[in-house]
Amino acid sequence: MSRHQYAMVMDLNKCLGCQTCTIACKKLWTDRDGTEYMYWNNVETRPGMGYPRQWDNIGGGWKDGALQPSPLPSIDDYGAPWEYDYSQRLYEGKGKPVMPSPDPVSGPNWDEDVGALNGDDNFYFYLPRICNHCTNPACLAACPRQAIYKREEDGIVVLDQERCQGYRYCIAACPYKKIYFNEITGKSEKCIFCYPRLEKGEVNACAAQCPGRLRFVGLLDDPNSAVHQIVMVHKAALPLFPEKGTQPNVFYVPPFNPPKRTNYGQSILKDPRLPLEYLIYLFGPEVKDLIVRLEAELTKAQNGTPSDLLQLLIGRDAEARYQIPVHEQLVQIKSFTG
Amino acid sequence: MRIHSKIIFGTLMALVVISAPLGAQTKPQAAIAAPGGLTLRVIAAAPPADTLHDPQARAWEQVAPLRVGLNRTPPLYDTDPPSTLDIAFVEVRLARAGGKLLIHLAWKDATQNSAVLAKAPDAPPETREYKEHTQATERFFDAVAVMFPSQPSTAGVSPSLQMGDAGDPVTIYYWNAARGAMLMEAQGRGTTRRTGQTFPARGEFRAGGWRVVLELPELPAGQQLSFAVWNGSQSDRDGRKYFSVWHTLE
Repeated sequence: MSRHQYAMVMDLNKCLGCQTCTIACKKLWTDRDGTEYMYWNNVETRPGMGYPRQWDNIGGGWKDGALQPSPLPSIDDYGAPWEYDYSQRLYEGKGKPVMPSPDPVSGPNWDEDVGALNGDDNFYFYLPRICNHCTNPACLAACPRQAIYKREEDGIVVLDQERCQGYRYCIAACPYKKIYFNEITGKSEKCIFCYPRLEKGEVNACAAQCPGRLRFVGLLDDPNSAVHQIVMVHKAALPLFPEKGTQPNVFYVPPFNPPKRTNYGQSILKDPRLPLEYLIYLFGPEVKDLIVRLEAELTKAQNGTPSDLLQLLIGRDAEARYQIPVHEQLVQIKSFTG
Repeated sequence: MRIHSKIIFGTLMALVVISAPLGAQTKPQAAIAAPGGLTLRVIAAAPPADTLHDPQARAWEQVAPLRVGLNRTPPLYDTDPPSTLDIAFVEVRLARAGGKLLIHLAWKDATQNSAVLAKAPDAPPETREYKEHTQATERFFDAVAVMFPSQPSTAGVSPSLQMGDAGDPVTIYYWNAARGAMLMEAQGRGTTRRTGQTFPARGEFRAGGWRVVLELPELPAGQQLSFAVWNGSQSDRDGRKYFSVWHTLE
Protein backbone atom coordinates (compact mmCIF):
# COMPACT_ATOMS: atom_id res chain seq x y z
CA MET A 1 0.00 0.00 0.00
CA SER A 2 1.33 3.41 -0.90
CA ARG A 3 1.20 6.04 1.83
CA HIS A 4 -0.91 8.36 -0.34
CA GLN A 5 -2.80 7.91 -3.57
CA TYR A 6 -3.23 10.38 -6.39
CA ALA A 7 -6.59 10.09 -8.11
CA MET A 8 -8.39 11.68 -11.01
CA VAL A 9 -12.11 12.25 -11.40
CA MET A 10 -13.53 12.82 -14.88
CA ASP A 11 -17.05 14.19 -15.22
CA LEU A 12 -18.38 12.55 -18.39
CA ASN A 13 -21.27 14.99 -18.53
CA LYS A 14 -18.75 17.63 -19.59
CA CYS A 15 -16.57 15.79 -22.11
CA LEU A 16 -16.68 17.30 -25.60
CA GLY A 17 -14.62 14.59 -27.29
CA CYS A 18 -12.26 17.31 -28.57
CA GLN A 19 -9.09 15.25 -27.93
CA THR A 20 -7.21 18.26 -26.57
CA CYS A 21 -6.14 16.09 -23.63
CA THR A 22 -4.96 13.42 -26.06
CA ILE A 23 -2.78 15.88 -27.95
CA ALA A 24 -1.46 17.51 -24.77
CA CYS A 25 -0.31 14.08 -23.62
CA LYS A 26 1.03 13.07 -27.01
CA LYS A 27 3.12 16.20 -27.47
CA LEU A 28 4.56 15.86 -24.01
CA TRP A 29 5.22 12.13 -23.69
CA THR A 30 4.78 10.08 -26.87
CA ASP A 31 6.45 12.11 -29.61
CA ARG A 32 9.40 9.72 -29.80
CA ASP A 33 10.56 6.82 -31.94
CA GLY A 34 8.28 3.82 -31.59
CA THR A 35 5.50 5.75 -29.84
CA GLU A 36 3.39 7.01 -32.78
CA TYR A 37 0.61 4.54 -32.18
CA MET A 38 0.53 5.15 -28.43
CA TYR A 39 -1.99 7.38 -26.74
CA TRP A 40 -1.36 7.21 -23.01
CA ASN A 41 -4.45 9.41 -22.85
CA ASN A 42 -7.16 8.58 -25.35
CA VAL A 43 -10.80 9.54 -25.74
CA GLU A 44 -13.11 6.93 -27.21
CA THR A 45 -16.74 7.02 -28.26
CA ARG A 46 -19.00 4.81 -26.14
CA PRO A 47 -20.61 2.50 -26.99
CA GLY A 48 -17.84 1.63 -29.40
CA MET A 49 -14.83 -0.49 -30.21
CA GLY A 50 -12.47 1.37 -27.92
CA TYR A 51 -8.72 1.80 -28.16
CA PRO A 52 -7.24 -0.72 -28.63
CA ARG A 53 -10.19 -2.45 -30.27
CA GLN A 54 -12.24 -4.60 -27.91
CA TRP A 55 -9.94 -3.91 -24.96
CA ASP A 56 -12.89 -4.20 -22.60
CA ASN A 57 -13.63 -7.81 -23.39
CA ILE A 58 -10.37 -9.52 -24.30
CA GLY A 59 -9.21 -10.33 -20.76
CA GLY A 60 -6.74 -9.39 -18.08
CA GLY A 61 -7.34 -8.21 -14.54
CA TRP A 62 -8.12 -10.39 -11.52
CA LYS A 63 -10.67 -13.08 -10.81
CA ASP A 64 -10.75 -14.93 -7.49
CA GLY A 65 -7.26 -13.66 -6.76
CA ALA A 66 -5.76 -14.97 -9.99
CA LEU A 67 -4.55 -13.00 -13.00
CA GLN A 68 -6.68 -13.58 -16.07
CA PRO A 69 -5.21 -14.39 -19.50
CA SER A 70 -5.49 -12.04 -22.44
CA PRO A 71 -4.08 -11.83 -25.95
CA LEU A 72 -1.80 -8.91 -26.83
CA PRO A 73 -3.50 -6.32 -29.06
CA SER A 74 -2.03 -6.04 -32.55
CA ILE A 75 -0.86 -2.79 -34.14
CA ASP A 76 -4.10 -2.76 -36.15
CA ASP A 77 -6.08 -3.05 -32.94
CA TYR A 78 -4.49 0.23 -31.88
CA GLY A 79 -4.50 1.66 -35.40
CA ALA A 80 -1.23 1.64 -37.32
CA PRO A 81 -0.11 5.26 -37.82
CA TRP A 82 0.17 6.36 -41.42
CA GLU A 83 2.33 8.87 -43.23
CA TYR A 84 1.67 10.99 -46.32
CA ASP A 85 4.17 11.05 -49.16
CA TYR A 86 4.00 14.69 -50.20
CA SER A 87 7.25 14.74 -52.12
CA GLN A 88 6.04 13.22 -55.41
CA ARG A 89 2.84 15.19 -55.61
CA LEU A 90 3.91 18.56 -54.28
CA TYR A 91 7.53 18.81 -55.31
CA GLU A 92 7.83 16.61 -58.36
CA GLY A 93 4.37 17.23 -59.85
CA LYS A 94 3.65 13.58 -60.44
CA GLY A 95 2.19 10.58 -58.77
CA LYS A 96 -1.23 10.03 -57.34
CA PRO A 97 -2.99 12.51 -55.10
CA VAL A 98 -1.44 12.58 -51.66
CA MET A 99 -2.62 9.40 -50.02
CA PRO A 100 -1.93 7.96 -46.60
CA SER A 101 0.36 4.97 -46.38
CA PRO A 102 -0.17 2.32 -45.15
CA ASP A 103 -3.84 2.32 -46.11
CA PRO A 104 -5.67 3.19 -42.89
CA VAL A 105 -7.87 0.37 -41.69
CA SER A 106 -8.32 1.38 -38.07
CA GLY A 107 -7.33 4.03 -35.60
CA PRO A 108 -8.00 5.39 -32.15
CA ASN A 109 -11.63 6.52 -31.93
CA TRP A 110 -12.11 5.09 -35.44
CA ASP A 111 -15.85 4.79 -34.78
CA GLU A 112 -16.17 8.39 -33.57
CA ASP A 113 -19.77 9.40 -32.84
CA VAL A 114 -21.21 6.17 -34.22
CA GLY A 115 -22.63 5.12 -30.89
CA ALA A 116 -25.63 2.82 -30.78
CA LEU A 117 -29.40 2.89 -30.97
CA ASN A 118 -31.70 3.14 -28.00
CA GLY A 119 -35.06 2.43 -29.60
CA ASP A 120 -35.06 4.77 -32.59
CA ASP A 121 -32.68 7.25 -31.02
CA ASN A 122 -28.96 7.28 -31.42
CA PHE A 123 -26.84 7.81 -28.33
CA TYR A 124 -23.19 8.06 -27.51
CA PHE A 125 -20.83 9.78 -25.13
CA TYR A 126 -17.10 10.16 -24.77
CA LEU A 127 -14.89 8.20 -22.43
CA PRO A 128 -11.43 9.69 -21.78
CA ARG A 129 -8.97 7.09 -20.49
CA ILE A 130 -5.55 7.14 -18.88
CA CYS A 131 -3.76 4.53 -16.76
CA ASN A 132 -5.88 3.95 -13.67
CA HIS A 133 -2.87 3.83 -11.33
CA CYS A 134 -4.62 0.97 -9.61
CA THR A 135 -4.28 0.11 -5.94
CA ASN A 136 -4.00 -3.58 -6.90
CA PRO A 137 -2.31 -3.36 -10.31
CA ALA A 138 -2.44 -6.52 -12.40
CA CYS A 139 0.46 -5.22 -14.51
CA LEU A 140 2.70 -4.98 -11.45
CA ALA A 141 1.82 -8.50 -10.34
CA ALA A 142 2.39 -9.94 -13.82
CA CYS A 143 5.88 -8.52 -14.37
CA PRO A 144 8.54 -11.16 -13.65
CA ARG A 145 11.18 -8.42 -13.66
CA GLN A 146 9.68 -6.29 -10.91
CA ALA A 147 9.97 -3.44 -13.39
CA ILE A 148 6.62 -1.95 -12.36
CA TYR A 149 6.10 -0.37 -8.97
CA LYS A 150 3.80 2.00 -7.12
CA ARG A 151 5.49 5.09 -5.79
CA GLU A 152 5.42 4.98 -2.02
CA GLU A 153 4.63 8.67 -1.60
CA ASP A 154 1.74 9.05 -4.06
CA GLY A 155 0.67 5.66 -5.48
CA ILE A 156 1.56 6.52 -9.06
CA VAL A 157 2.32 3.33 -11.03
CA VAL A 158 5.54 3.63 -13.00
CA LEU A 159 7.52 1.28 -15.24
CA ASP A 160 11.31 1.21 -14.82
CA GLN A 161 12.81 1.37 -18.30
CA GLU A 162 16.08 -0.09 -17.05
CA ARG A 163 14.47 -3.23 -15.61
CA CYS A 164 11.91 -3.79 -18.39
CA GLN A 165 12.84 -6.51 -20.90
CA GLY A 166 9.80 -6.07 -23.13
CA TYR A 167 8.15 -9.37 -22.18
CA ARG A 168 4.67 -7.74 -22.28
CA TYR A 169 3.06 -9.81 -19.53
CA CYS A 170 1.95 -6.47 -18.12
CA ILE A 171 0.07 -5.58 -21.31
CA ALA A 172 -1.79 -8.87 -21.21
CA ALA A 173 -2.54 -8.47 -17.50
CA CYS A 174 -3.86 -4.89 -17.65
CA PRO A 175 -7.63 -5.18 -18.16
CA TYR A 176 -7.66 -1.59 -19.47
CA LYS A 177 -4.79 -2.18 -21.96
CA LYS A 178 -3.06 0.96 -20.81
CA ILE A 179 0.51 -0.27 -21.23
CA TYR A 180 2.09 -0.07 -24.65
CA PHE A 181 5.04 -1.83 -26.29
CA ASN A 182 7.70 0.29 -28.00
CA GLU A 183 9.29 -1.99 -30.56
CA ILE A 184 12.14 0.43 -31.24
CA THR A 185 13.36 0.42 -27.63
CA GLY A 186 12.11 -3.14 -27.02
CA LYS A 187 10.45 -1.98 -23.80
CA SER A 188 6.95 -1.22 -22.57
CA GLU A 189 5.71 2.23 -21.59
CA LYS A 190 2.77 3.76 -19.79
CA CYS A 191 1.13 6.89 -18.44
CA ILE A 192 3.18 8.27 -15.55
CA PHE A 193 0.37 10.52 -14.26
CA CYS A 194 2.68 13.43 -15.21
CA TYR A 195 4.59 12.93 -11.96
CA PRO A 196 7.41 15.30 -13.03
CA ARG A 197 4.75 18.02 -13.39
CA LEU A 198 3.05 17.16 -10.09
CA GLU A 199 6.39 17.31 -8.31
CA LYS A 200 6.67 20.90 -9.54
CA GLY A 201 3.14 21.72 -8.43
CA GLU A 202 1.70 21.57 -11.96
CA VAL A 203 -1.35 19.48 -12.71
CA ASN A 204 -1.29 16.67 -15.32
CA ALA A 205 -1.05 17.94 -18.91
CA CYS A 206 -4.33 16.25 -19.91
CA ALA A 207 -6.17 18.02 -17.08
CA ALA A 208 -4.46 21.37 -17.60
CA GLN A 209 -5.45 21.51 -21.27
CA CYS A 210 -9.04 20.25 -20.92
CA PRO A 211 -11.42 22.96 -22.20
CA GLY A 212 -14.37 21.13 -20.67
CA ARG A 213 -12.83 21.42 -17.18
CA LEU A 214 -13.96 17.89 -16.51
CA ARG A 215 -10.90 16.60 -14.68
CA PHE A 216 -10.23 16.82 -10.97
CA VAL A 217 -6.84 15.85 -9.55
CA GLY A 218 -5.68 15.40 -5.99
CA LEU A 219 -4.89 12.89 -3.30
CA LEU A 220 -7.76 10.54 -2.57
CA ASP A 221 -6.77 10.42 1.10
CA ASP A 222 -6.60 14.20 1.47
CA PRO A 223 -9.99 15.20 2.97
CA ASN A 224 -9.64 18.67 1.49
CA SER A 225 -9.19 17.51 -2.08
CA ALA A 226 -12.01 17.72 -4.63
CA VAL A 227 -11.37 14.10 -5.62
CA HIS A 228 -11.83 13.00 -2.01
CA GLN A 229 -15.03 15.03 -1.70
CA ILE A 230 -16.51 13.71 -4.96
CA VAL A 231 -15.49 10.06 -4.55
CA MET A 232 -15.44 9.46 -0.81
CA VAL A 233 -17.88 11.98 0.66
CA HIS A 234 -20.53 12.46 -2.04
CA LYS A 235 -19.91 9.06 -3.63
CA ALA A 236 -20.62 10.61 -7.00
CA ALA A 237 -17.98 8.89 -9.13
CA LEU A 238 -17.11 5.28 -9.89
CA PRO A 239 -14.19 3.45 -11.43
CA LEU A 240 -14.43 1.74 -14.79
CA PHE A 241 -15.09 -2.02 -14.68
CA PRO A 242 -14.64 -2.43 -10.93
CA GLU A 243 -15.17 -6.19 -11.34
CA LYS A 244 -11.72 -6.45 -12.96
CA GLY A 245 -10.39 -6.30 -9.41
CA THR A 246 -7.53 -3.84 -9.82
CA GLN A 247 -9.09 -1.02 -7.75
CA PRO A 248 -8.61 1.84 -10.20
CA ASN A 249 -7.89 5.35 -8.97
CA VAL A 250 -9.49 7.11 -11.92
CA PHE A 251 -13.17 7.72 -11.24
CA TYR A 252 -15.99 8.81 -13.53
CA VAL A 253 -19.10 10.85 -12.91
CA PRO A 254 -21.45 8.98 -15.26
CA PRO A 255 -23.54 10.77 -17.88
CA PHE A 256 -26.84 10.91 -16.02
CA ASN A 257 -28.97 13.57 -17.60
CA PRO A 258 -28.36 13.93 -21.32
CA PRO A 259 -30.90 16.13 -23.15
CA LYS A 260 -33.21 14.05 -25.27
CA ARG A 261 -35.50 16.21 -27.36
CA THR A 262 -35.48 19.49 -25.50
CA ASN A 263 -32.82 21.69 -24.03
CA TYR A 264 -33.42 20.17 -20.64
CA GLY A 265 -32.60 16.62 -19.85
CA GLN A 266 -34.64 14.01 -18.15
CA SER A 267 -33.14 11.57 -15.74
CA ILE A 268 -32.01 8.48 -17.52
CA LEU A 269 -33.99 6.60 -14.90
CA LYS A 270 -37.24 8.17 -16.19
CA ASP A 271 -36.82 8.89 -19.88
CA PRO A 272 -33.54 7.35 -20.83
CA ARG A 273 -31.66 8.72 -23.78
CA LEU A 274 -29.01 6.16 -23.02
CA PRO A 275 -29.84 2.81 -21.47
CA LEU A 276 -28.93 2.33 -17.84
CA GLU A 277 -27.75 -1.18 -18.72
CA TYR A 278 -24.85 0.27 -20.65
CA LEU A 279 -23.74 2.37 -17.68
CA ILE A 280 -24.06 -0.69 -15.45
CA TYR A 281 -21.84 -2.52 -17.95
CA LEU A 282 -19.17 0.16 -17.61
CA PHE A 283 -19.41 1.10 -13.93
CA GLY A 284 -21.16 -1.77 -12.20
CA PRO A 285 -24.60 -1.93 -10.52
CA GLU A 286 -23.70 0.82 -8.03
CA VAL A 287 -24.16 3.34 -10.82
CA LYS A 288 -27.93 3.28 -10.39
CA ASP A 289 -27.87 4.53 -6.79
CA LEU A 290 -25.26 7.05 -7.78
CA ILE A 291 -27.53 8.46 -10.48
CA VAL A 292 -30.38 8.66 -7.98
CA ARG A 293 -28.12 10.76 -5.72
CA LEU A 294 -27.04 13.00 -8.60
CA GLU A 295 -30.65 13.48 -9.68
CA ALA A 296 -31.63 14.42 -6.14
CA GLU A 297 -28.86 17.01 -6.03
CA LEU A 298 -30.02 18.40 -9.36
CA THR A 299 -33.64 18.66 -8.21
CA LYS A 300 -32.48 20.36 -5.03
CA ALA A 301 -30.51 22.94 -6.99
CA GLN A 302 -33.36 23.53 -9.44
CA ASN A 303 -35.60 24.21 -6.44
CA GLY A 304 -33.26 26.93 -5.24
CA THR A 305 -31.32 25.04 -2.55
CA PRO A 306 -27.58 25.15 -3.18
CA SER A 307 -25.97 21.76 -3.86
CA ASP A 308 -22.43 21.38 -2.56
CA LEU A 309 -21.85 18.50 -4.94
CA LEU A 310 -22.99 20.33 -8.07
CA GLN A 311 -20.98 23.40 -7.03
CA LEU A 312 -17.98 21.12 -6.67
CA LEU A 313 -18.59 19.47 -10.04
CA ILE A 314 -18.76 22.85 -11.78
CA GLY A 315 -15.06 23.15 -10.99
CA ARG A 316 -14.90 26.87 -11.65
CA ASP A 317 -11.15 27.25 -11.62
CA ALA A 318 -7.96 25.29 -11.27
CA GLU A 319 -7.90 25.93 -7.54
CA ALA A 320 -11.26 24.23 -7.16
CA ARG A 321 -10.32 21.24 -9.29
CA TYR A 322 -6.73 20.51 -8.39
CA GLN A 323 -5.11 20.11 -5.00
CA ILE A 324 -1.46 19.32 -5.61
CA PRO A 325 0.61 19.35 -2.41
CA VAL A 326 4.18 20.56 -2.46
CA HIS A 327 6.10 17.37 -3.15
CA GLU A 328 8.75 17.97 -0.49
CA GLN A 329 5.97 18.29 2.08
CA LEU A 330 4.01 15.32 0.73
CA VAL A 331 6.90 12.93 1.27
CA GLN A 332 6.93 14.02 4.94
CA ILE A 333 3.18 13.52 5.51
CA LYS A 334 2.47 10.06 6.88
CA SER A 335 -1.30 10.45 7.07
CA PHE A 336 -3.78 13.27 6.47
CA THR A 337 -6.00 12.02 9.24
CA GLY A 338 -3.32 12.05 11.93
CA MET B 1 6.15 -21.13 -10.10
CA ARG B 2 9.36 -23.12 -9.75
CA ILE B 3 10.69 -25.56 -12.27
CA HIS B 4 10.83 -29.07 -10.87
CA SER B 5 13.97 -31.13 -11.28
CA LYS B 6 12.05 -34.11 -12.58
CA ILE B 7 11.10 -32.05 -15.60
CA ILE B 8 14.66 -30.95 -16.11
CA PHE B 9 15.91 -34.53 -16.25
CA GLY B 10 12.81 -35.83 -17.96
CA THR B 11 13.51 -36.79 -21.50
CA LEU B 12 17.11 -35.98 -22.18
CA MET B 13 18.68 -38.29 -24.70
CA ALA B 14 22.38 -37.81 -25.06
CA LEU B 15 24.45 -38.65 -28.06
CA VAL B 16 28.08 -39.49 -28.18
CA VAL B 17 29.98 -38.13 -31.04
CA ILE B 18 32.33 -39.92 -33.28
CA SER B 19 34.28 -36.94 -34.39
CA ALA B 20 36.38 -36.42 -37.42
CA PRO B 21 39.17 -33.86 -37.73
CA LEU B 22 38.44 -30.75 -39.69
CA GLY B 23 39.23 -31.19 -43.31
CA ALA B 24 38.03 -34.78 -43.52
CA GLN B 25 35.64 -35.32 -46.41
CA THR B 26 33.16 -37.69 -44.79
CA LYS B 27 30.32 -36.35 -42.64
CA PRO B 28 30.68 -37.29 -38.98
CA GLN B 29 28.19 -39.68 -37.47
CA ALA B 30 26.51 -39.70 -34.08
CA ALA B 31 25.35 -42.52 -31.85
CA ILE B 32 23.00 -42.76 -28.89
CA ALA B 33 24.37 -43.01 -25.36
CA ALA B 34 23.00 -42.97 -21.83
CA PRO B 35 20.97 -39.99 -20.50
CA GLY B 36 22.80 -37.29 -18.57
CA GLY B 37 25.08 -34.34 -19.16
CA LEU B 38 27.24 -34.62 -22.23
CA THR B 39 30.92 -34.07 -22.62
CA LEU B 40 31.10 -31.38 -25.27
CA ARG B 41 33.84 -32.29 -27.68
CA VAL B 42 35.74 -29.27 -28.94
CA ILE B 43 37.62 -29.20 -32.18
CA ALA B 44 40.79 -27.19 -32.55
CA ALA B 45 39.94 -25.55 -35.83
CA ALA B 46 42.38 -25.00 -38.62
CA PRO B 47 40.38 -22.29 -40.44
CA PRO B 48 40.65 -18.79 -39.01
CA ALA B 49 37.90 -17.76 -36.61
CA ASP B 50 36.57 -15.30 -39.20
CA THR B 51 35.63 -18.13 -41.55
CA LEU B 52 33.82 -19.95 -38.78
CA HIS B 53 31.66 -16.89 -38.06
CA ASP B 54 29.68 -17.92 -41.14
CA PRO B 55 27.00 -20.34 -39.93
CA GLN B 56 26.90 -21.92 -43.39
CA ALA B 57 30.70 -22.37 -43.66
CA ARG B 58 31.59 -25.80 -44.97
CA ALA B 59 34.15 -26.17 -42.23
CA TRP B 60 31.31 -26.49 -39.70
CA GLU B 61 29.83 -29.45 -41.52
CA GLN B 62 33.02 -31.31 -40.84
CA VAL B 63 32.68 -30.86 -37.10
CA ALA B 64 30.72 -33.60 -35.40
CA PRO B 65 27.38 -32.30 -34.08
CA LEU B 66 26.39 -32.95 -30.52
CA ARG B 67 22.67 -33.46 -30.32
CA VAL B 68 21.67 -31.71 -27.10
CA GLY B 69 18.21 -32.55 -25.86
CA LEU B 70 15.92 -29.65 -25.02
CA ASN B 71 13.19 -29.46 -22.43
CA ARG B 72 10.24 -27.14 -22.46
CA THR B 73 9.75 -25.05 -19.35
CA PRO B 74 6.43 -25.80 -17.69
CA PRO B 75 3.89 -22.95 -17.61
CA LEU B 76 5.48 -20.31 -15.39
CA TYR B 77 2.39 -18.21 -14.81
CA ASP B 78 -1.28 -18.95 -14.30
CA THR B 79 -2.09 -17.13 -17.50
CA ASP B 80 0.39 -19.01 -19.71
CA PRO B 81 -1.22 -20.82 -22.62
CA PRO B 82 -0.13 -24.46 -22.89
CA SER B 83 2.82 -25.12 -25.15
CA THR B 84 4.16 -28.10 -27.01
CA LEU B 85 7.68 -29.47 -27.41
CA ASP B 86 8.18 -28.42 -31.02
CA ILE B 87 11.98 -28.24 -30.84
CA ALA B 88 13.34 -31.43 -29.31
CA PHE B 89 17.05 -30.75 -29.65
CA VAL B 90 19.72 -28.35 -30.77
CA GLU B 91 22.81 -29.53 -32.61
CA VAL B 92 25.94 -28.05 -31.09
CA ARG B 93 29.33 -27.82 -32.71
CA LEU B 94 32.29 -26.30 -30.94
CA ALA B 95 35.64 -25.12 -32.18
CA ARG B 96 38.57 -23.36 -30.62
CA ALA B 97 40.16 -20.92 -33.03
CA GLY B 98 42.20 -17.78 -32.63
CA GLY B 99 41.91 -17.79 -28.86
CA LYS B 100 38.11 -17.94 -29.06
CA LEU B 101 35.47 -20.56 -28.46
CA LEU B 102 33.10 -20.66 -31.42
CA ILE B 103 29.76 -22.32 -30.87
CA HIS B 104 27.63 -23.37 -33.84
CA LEU B 105 24.01 -24.02 -32.91
CA ALA B 106 21.50 -25.52 -35.36
CA TRP B 107 17.88 -26.36 -34.76
CA LYS B 108 14.78 -27.06 -36.82
CA ASP B 109 12.06 -24.43 -36.66
CA ALA B 110 8.94 -24.47 -38.81
CA THR B 111 8.58 -20.69 -38.68
CA GLN B 112 11.14 -17.95 -39.04
CA ASN B 113 10.40 -15.24 -36.49
CA SER B 114 12.87 -12.49 -37.22
CA ALA B 115 12.79 -8.89 -38.37
CA VAL B 116 15.01 -6.02 -39.33
CA LEU B 117 14.01 -3.45 -36.73
CA ALA B 118 14.42 0.25 -37.32
CA LYS B 119 16.94 1.96 -35.09
CA ALA B 120 16.26 5.32 -33.52
CA PRO B 121 18.50 7.90 -35.24
CA ASP B 122 21.12 9.63 -33.12
CA ALA B 123 19.47 13.04 -33.46
CA PRO B 124 17.01 13.70 -30.60
CA PRO B 125 13.38 13.03 -31.61
CA GLU B 126 12.31 16.64 -30.99
CA THR B 127 14.68 17.76 -33.74
CA ARG B 128 13.19 15.36 -36.31
CA GLU B 129 9.88 15.45 -38.12
CA TYR B 130 9.80 11.69 -38.78
CA LYS B 131 9.90 9.19 -35.96
CA GLU B 132 10.50 5.49 -36.45
CA HIS B 133 7.36 3.41 -36.09
CA THR B 134 6.55 0.40 -34.01
CA GLN B 135 5.64 -2.16 -36.68
CA ALA B 136 4.09 -4.81 -34.46
CA THR B 137 3.12 -5.08 -30.83
CA GLU B 138 2.49 -8.78 -30.34
CA ARG B 139 5.35 -10.56 -32.11
CA PHE B 140 8.27 -12.35 -30.47
CA PHE B 141 11.50 -13.39 -32.11
CA ASP B 142 13.49 -16.61 -32.30
CA ALA B 143 16.56 -16.60 -30.09
CA VAL B 144 19.28 -18.80 -28.66
CA ALA B 145 21.65 -18.55 -25.70
CA VAL B 146 24.58 -20.22 -24.04
CA MET B 147 24.88 -19.93 -20.27
CA PHE B 148 27.83 -20.82 -18.07
CA PRO B 149 28.80 -20.27 -14.42
CA SER B 150 30.69 -17.00 -14.09
CA GLN B 151 32.99 -18.41 -11.44
CA PRO B 152 33.82 -21.77 -9.83
CA SER B 153 30.90 -22.91 -7.72
CA THR B 154 31.04 -21.90 -4.06
CA ALA B 155 29.25 -25.04 -2.90
CA GLY B 156 30.77 -27.46 -5.37
CA VAL B 157 27.45 -27.91 -7.19
CA SER B 158 26.18 -26.50 -10.44
CA PRO B 159 24.35 -23.18 -10.28
CA SER B 160 20.60 -23.36 -10.79
CA LEU B 161 19.51 -23.70 -14.40
CA GLN B 162 17.08 -20.93 -13.55
CA MET B 163 19.62 -18.24 -14.24
CA GLY B 164 22.07 -19.21 -11.49
CA ASP B 165 21.84 -18.43 -7.79
CA ALA B 166 22.77 -15.60 -5.46
CA GLY B 167 26.49 -16.20 -4.94
CA ASP B 168 26.69 -18.45 -8.00
CA PRO B 169 26.29 -15.98 -10.89
CA VAL B 170 25.98 -17.05 -14.50
CA THR B 171 27.02 -15.41 -17.75
CA ILE B 172 24.70 -15.58 -20.75
CA TYR B 173 25.63 -15.09 -24.38
CA TYR B 174 22.26 -14.35 -25.97
CA TRP B 175 21.43 -13.90 -29.65
CA ASN B 176 18.04 -12.71 -30.88
CA ALA B 177 16.92 -12.93 -34.52
CA ALA B 178 15.85 -9.27 -34.47
CA ARG B 179 17.88 -7.61 -31.76
CA GLY B 180 21.25 -9.31 -32.25
CA ALA B 181 23.81 -10.35 -29.64
CA MET B 182 23.71 -9.27 -26.02
CA LEU B 183 25.90 -10.25 -23.12
CA MET B 184 23.93 -10.78 -19.92
CA GLU B 185 24.53 -11.70 -16.31
CA ALA B 186 22.23 -13.21 -13.69
CA GLN B 187 22.20 -14.42 -10.10
CA GLY B 188 18.89 -16.24 -9.95
CA ARG B 189 15.54 -16.09 -11.64
CA GLY B 190 14.33 -12.56 -12.34
CA THR B 191 17.78 -11.02 -11.97
CA THR B 192 18.97 -11.24 -15.57
CA ARG B 193 20.69 -8.00 -16.49
CA ARG B 194 21.94 -6.77 -19.84
CA THR B 195 25.54 -5.67 -19.46
CA GLY B 196 25.31 -3.37 -22.47
CA GLN B 197 28.14 -5.32 -24.08
CA THR B 198 27.75 -7.23 -27.30
CA PHE B 199 29.80 -9.97 -28.96
CA PRO B 200 30.29 -11.34 -32.49
CA ALA B 201 27.38 -13.51 -33.55
CA ARG B 202 25.65 -14.41 -36.79
CA GLY B 203 22.49 -16.32 -37.52
CA GLU B 204 20.81 -17.51 -40.70
CA PHE B 205 17.50 -19.20 -41.30
CA ARG B 206 17.56 -21.65 -44.21
CA ALA B 207 15.57 -24.73 -45.17
CA GLY B 208 13.37 -24.85 -42.07
CA GLY B 209 16.02 -24.24 -39.49
CA TRP B 210 18.36 -21.81 -37.79
CA ARG B 211 22.11 -21.91 -37.82
CA VAL B 212 23.77 -19.50 -35.44
CA VAL B 213 27.41 -18.98 -34.54
CA LEU B 214 28.31 -17.32 -31.25
CA GLU B 215 31.85 -16.23 -30.49
CA LEU B 216 32.70 -16.68 -26.83
CA PRO B 217 36.02 -16.08 -25.15
CA GLU B 218 38.22 -19.11 -24.58
CA LEU B 219 36.67 -21.24 -21.85
CA PRO B 220 38.63 -23.86 -19.91
CA ALA B 221 38.12 -27.60 -20.17
CA GLY B 222 35.59 -28.78 -17.62
CA GLN B 223 33.54 -25.61 -18.01
CA GLN B 224 29.82 -26.24 -17.71
CA LEU B 225 27.52 -24.98 -20.45
CA SER B 226 23.79 -24.95 -20.88
CA PHE B 227 21.77 -24.03 -23.95
CA ALA B 228 18.40 -22.37 -24.48
CA VAL B 229 16.20 -21.76 -27.51
CA TRP B 230 13.26 -19.38 -27.75
CA ASN B 231 10.63 -20.02 -30.42
CA GLY B 232 9.00 -16.75 -31.48
CA SER B 233 5.94 -18.49 -32.91
CA GLN B 234 5.23 -19.91 -29.44
CA SER B 235 5.43 -16.39 -27.93
CA ASP B 236 8.62 -17.43 -26.17
CA ARG B 237 10.40 -14.84 -24.04
CA ASP B 238 11.67 -14.75 -20.48
CA GLY B 239 11.63 -18.24 -18.90
CA ARG B 240 9.10 -19.40 -21.50
CA LYS B 241 11.61 -21.30 -23.64
CA TYR B 242 13.49 -24.53 -24.36
CA PHE B 243 16.49 -25.33 -22.19
CA SER B 244 19.12 -28.02 -21.73
CA VAL B 245 20.72 -29.40 -18.61
CA TRP B 246 24.36 -28.56 -17.82
CA HIS B 247 26.92 -30.12 -20.13
CA THR B 248 30.66 -30.16 -19.70
CA LEU B 249 33.23 -28.76 -22.07
CA GLU B 250 35.91 -31.25 -22.98
